[in-house]
Amino acid sequence: MAILEINHVSRYFGGLAANWDVSFEVPEGTIVGLIGPNGAGKTTLFNCITGYYRPSKGEIVFQGRRMNGLKPDKVCKLGMARTWQKVRPLTNLSVLDNAVVGALCRTNSVREAREIAHEQLRVVHLDGRAGLRAGALPIGERKRLELARVLATKPRLLLIDEAMGGLNAAESEEIIRLILEIKDQGLTQIVIEHDMKAIMRLSDRIVVLNSGEKLAEGTPQEIVANPQVIEAYLGVEQ
Amino acid sequence: MTPAADAGKGTHYVPLALITLSIGVLLMVPLFVESTYLLHMMILIFINVIIGSAWNILGGYTGQYSVGHAAYFGVGAYTTMILLQYRQIAPWYGIWAGAVVALMTALIIGSICFRLRGSYFVLASIAVAEIFRVSALNLKAITNGAEGILITEIPPLTIGGTLITDWESKIPFYYTGLIFALVSITVSWLVLRSKLGYCFQAIREDQDAAHSLGINPTLYKNAALAISAIFTALAGGLYGAYVGFIDPSTVLGLEKSIQIVVVCIIGGVGTIFGPVLGAALLVPLSEALRSNVITDLLIKAGLVRAESPVGVFLKENLAHAHVLIYGILVVIVILFMPEGVLGFFRKMATRRGSRGSGVGGRRKGKDLAVTSDSEPSTHDPKPATLDSHPATPNSDPRPPTPDSRG
Repeated sequence: MAILEINHVSRYFGGLAANWDVSFEVPEGTIVGLIGPNGAGKTTLFNCITGYYRPSKGEIVFQGRRMNGLKPDKVCKLGMARTWQKVRPLTNLSVLDNAVVGALCRTNSVREAREIAHEQLRVVHLDGRAGLRAGALPIGERKRLELARVLATKPRLLLIDEAMGGLNAAESEEIIRLILEIKDQGLTQIVIEHDMKAIMRLSDRIVVLNSGEKLAEGTPQEIVANPQVIEAYLGVEQ
Repeated sequence: MTPAADAGKGTHYVPLALITLSIGVLLMVPLFVESTYLLHMMILIFINVIIGSAWNILGGYTGQYSVGHAAYFGVGAYTTMILLQYRQIAPWYGIWAGAVVALMTALIIGSICFRLRGSYFVLASIAVAEIFRVSALNLKAITNGAEGILITEIPPLTIGGTLITDWESKIPFYYTGLIFALVSITVSWLVLRSKLGYCFQAIREDQDAAHSLGINPTLYKNAALAISAIFTALAGGLYGAYVGFIDPSTVLGLEKSIQIVVVCIIGGVGTIFGPVLGAALLVPLSEALRSNVITDLLIKAGLVRAESPVGVFLKENLAHAHVLIYGILVVIVILFMPEGVLGFFRKMATRRGSRGSGVGGRRKGKDLAVTSDSEPSTHDPKPATLDSHPATPNSDPRPPTPDSRG
């Protein structure tokens, strides 16, 4: 069953269509990879799904509920959480308090939120850093903190925007392991990623965007064999 | 419970004892102090503690730098005074009416101004306060315009027939101010430790990130403004009743708005005791400058002879320049202590603690970790708060690695 349906979504900025008639479904419990060249409209689509932009056309249905026009905080409360391409730690709060803020999405008790936060920090192996200022973390740990923070909101669907950007091989490997671990716990995910090797390992299905339109969709094996995709990424052979 | 957490709890008794002691001393002051001037200064300090703490909830915790808080101060003062002047309602009741009016004003202003962010919000807040000032100047029928409202006596406060106070001396104002100040500090402490505090600070740090974590920024910013406005109005009402005279420029002027912000900036933005320290420093400073203490000191030190032309000139003119000197001092503090006086001393303490190597103790290591200045971005006056939870384990006393990539 699809937890998220994206039906003919378009988003214009003035005359420019950043997304044009994009449709796909995200089956529950799977990881859907979202790839495409720079400027293909991946992050715009994330912003439409999570309420930062209102789709100009089409609809977004999450767990049977139409999401168009809902604000990001409502979207999060309904169980859809996102991370940011450029990490956005709450710099002057401690690592623990960053996760507490996420946990407070589901509870009004700070005590309870702190327990959830500790738990999630353990999941991403940041429990030893709980007392540090979030701004003092190196980039790899910031990315993991961001994961802990969204996991603390107890989402049903997680949208991850380039969790591996700017990381070295070992740090990326750790993120991949985390994403797969989270998947094993039954959490559905949409993952934007530029690293093709990573996306091939992670995804059950891949959606390719190009110039705002959906170019192809299929299993990772189908996608790498798709001539249109190769053309979009590498150009046409003369 | 881990031993570390127990130790954390133990260190909490020290500030608690200090706080109890200072409250005790403050309660006793009027019993031993005859000087009405000192009491006057204390009352002004209390009023500034209230407005400083109130502004801090919006500006310090939530990061919304309102430079229009005179609007709420003035609304509180005018409501209290108008009710007394025209309806003979005692300030004891009028002040609460002032708080309610300020709350409603805040909700209206907030719903409009919070569509703006950053410096645009600052400008809007100034504009709103100016609208209030100009209105107060021109609605002569209600506010008495530029002449202001002068009251000569306050109806005595009686409860069940017994006279509590006739408001004749400064002492009842002293205790009222003290209680209000304590309540405002307590509220800002409670707010910081509650869900509200986390949501406020998340918005301050990154509004979009907070929004994606289920925090409705409009709702929480308005909540912060509402709490802030209520206390600012209470301070305004108290000020009006105490001084007995208000006019648009003193309670609604831009100067007032700036003064409210400066109390926090000098003390330390976003900390509970920053505004307290700011008020305790600035009120005596401004009073001293106004009464020309500098000239007296120069003469006493023998640097300037009282009869010399320079001495006469200073004696006649330096008092008029008190705002100038005050301004220069404020600029100096902001330049050299960007995190406020409280932040400055904390940093000094931390430095000394870290110099004393590993023996410095767990608590100091943690301070270093949370308020460390390893990044240029920490120069903005936003200290890490919510840091002193006893339950926070800190097994890692290493200083943070500076992040060159972020």
